[in-house]
Amino acid sequence: MNLIARLALKNLTRNRRRTALTMISIIAGIGIMIVGQAFIAGTEENIFVSAEEGVVGHVLARPEGYPSQGLNAPLDRLLTIGPEARALLDAQTVAWTGRVQFAPTAVHGAESVRVRAFGYEPDRDPRVFSRERWSIDGRYPNPEADEVTVSRSVARLLQLKPGDRFVLQVRTHHGALNALEVAVSGILTTGNTALDGLGLFAPMALTTRLTGADAPTHLSVKLARRALATDFKPRLLAVLQGAEVSTVQEETAELISLQAVRRKSLDVLVFILLALAAFGMANTFLMAAYERTREVGTLRAMGMTEGSVTALFVTEGSIVGLVGSLLGAAWGSALALWWSVHPLDISEALQRSGTTGSGTSMAFSALIYTAFDPAVAGLGVALGLAVAMASSWYPARVASALRPSDAVRA
Amino acid sequence: MSICELKNVCRTYGSGAGKVEALKHVSLTIEPGEFTVLCGPSGSGKTTLLNQVGLLDVPDEGTLSVDGQLVGGLSSGELSKVRGQKIGFIFQSFNLIPVLTAVENVELALQLAGREGGERVAAEAVLEQVGLAGLGHRRPNELSGGQQQRVAIARALVKKPLLVIADEPTANLDSENGEAVLSTMQRLNREFGTTFVFSSHDAMVVAHARRVVTLRDGAIVSDERRAATS
Repeated sequence: MNLIARLALKNLTRNRRRTALTMISIIAGIGIMIVGQAFIAGTEENIFVSAEEGVVGHVLARPEGYPSQGLNAPLDRLLTIGPEARALLDAQTVAWTGRVQFAPTAVHGAESVRVRAFGYEPDRDPRVFSRERWSIDGRYPNPEADEVTVSRSVARLLQLKPGDRFVLQVRTHHGALNALEVAVSGILTTGNTALDGLGLFAPMALTTRLTGADAPTHLSVKLARRALATDFKPRLLAVLQGAEVSTVQEETAELISLQAVRRKSLDVLVFILLALAAFGMANTFLMAAYERTREVGTLRAMGMTEGSVTALFVTEGSIVGLVGSLLGAAWGSALALWWSVHPLDISEALQRSGTTGSGTSMAFSALIYTAFDPAVAGLGVALGLAVAMASSWYPARVASALRPSDAVRA
Repeated sequence: MSICELKNVCRTYGSGAGKVEALKHVSLTIEPGEFTVLCGPSGSGKTTLLNQVGLLDVPDEGTLSVDGQLVGGLSSGELSKVRGQKIGFIFQSFNLIPVLTAVENVELALQLAGREGGERVAAEAVLEQVGLAGLGHRRPNELSGGQQQRVAIARALVKKPLLVIADEPTANLDSENGEAVLSTMQRLNREFGTTFVFSSHDAMVVAHARRVVTLRDGAIVSDERRAATS
């Protein structure tokens, strides 16, 4: 092994506790950076997946001027999906489906609440919106019967359980008031805030009878992959009259922009941690340089050059940085990986706080997870090493600048 | 050819009222195989002169040559190279590297001199010559003061330098260990012709020297050569 590296390793073992303490800040900084980046990437992925699997798909069409926020879900404007549009959708998508969004008042006994209802096509809907994470207490509605599923919050507010009957009141597509008694087939939990809040799912046949809407208010398209959405959007727009079309990227842009703020906050936190690590290391190595003045003088007397003394101290810093970064990357990656397969379920907390689904099409999953990227771990190791080398440079220069004649007798 | 030659060397520290003339126009020639002691009271310039001879410091005036090579214009790196290859040092406080074992300390001198291959064998052989056979695996803190100084002698000698500089080599040792270290140095001088220049206050050390250079106030006041002692 190279003489400098061997001496550096030996020097680091002379005060193991101090070396370990010096490493801790690097270990913490790099680990937090990796977990933080994985958390933000996971949240970002969560936003996309929740939108894709909740209310948007890859591409979403709705009538021009249709509100995209809140519980206001007018039925006066419906989408017209003509033969040309159907041909395009059948030929160029993995699946597509229409939904009628409306906001009826649900009444059970003395209790009533305005809910966010989704009229869905029982055959097509599951092909666009994955039900992998959905769970139901009871069963899905019989498409031919007047049955619906309600979310847990609706069930709690109206004190409903599977088999109970309640009344839905709605202003129809034609402007009249209509009411229908329906049965609860099941209590549905999707894990998606946009659906679980005040959500209600009604098969399309029941929806049409209740609202008079003979066409959907929303059209959702699933493509082979997310990245194709931008290319598909203008093609769909060209064949849908009076509609506005948006991609999942556009639908989630607001939430994703918040991620940028989070990312910047994390960058600041990591910068502060690594700056603290750098100052700590510089201080430790400067102290070591002064403690080892006589030793440096002896090495210089024995023929070690100034450059080699600098290299010795920078190598010591690099070893501390490399080992610290690797340990930081190890715990950060392990935690990020574990968290990516063991999501944190905050649905109960969200329901208790009333945060879920206030009627927005912006959705996020109540499952909080990370998305681990090995490249970030690699970057973390490189960053930790660079910080360590930079922070040991000044002490190294101090040590190498010592005059041998003074240093040997210090 | 002389090992080391100083001509009119001056060295001044500080400036203004605090100016100290540590060496005043000192001229000295060290011949091969000499066993020279620099003596004189504290502040007489012994250590400053050793620093010049050992290339640990550079003169303000005058010229200095080692092995026939003028060192005045050499860079710091070139001076390091000359030190590494031609000069061995023995210090009052031993100055062993605490994280290295005795044999590793000796090996280090060879490695810094740029010699590759056989360092371990050479280091063990020299440790044996100074009476430390079997103790090479010990770290400095596991050796007595006398043993540490003998490791330092081995470290200085292992690269077969032209010149060994020793600054008060017995000052931190009791008389028994001091005498043993001095005997070792004398024996090596006698058997291998190694040139030694050292400083000392110790009358016993001065008595063993074959050349005694006395300094006072930065100048050489006497230079006495004696017949060899056994």
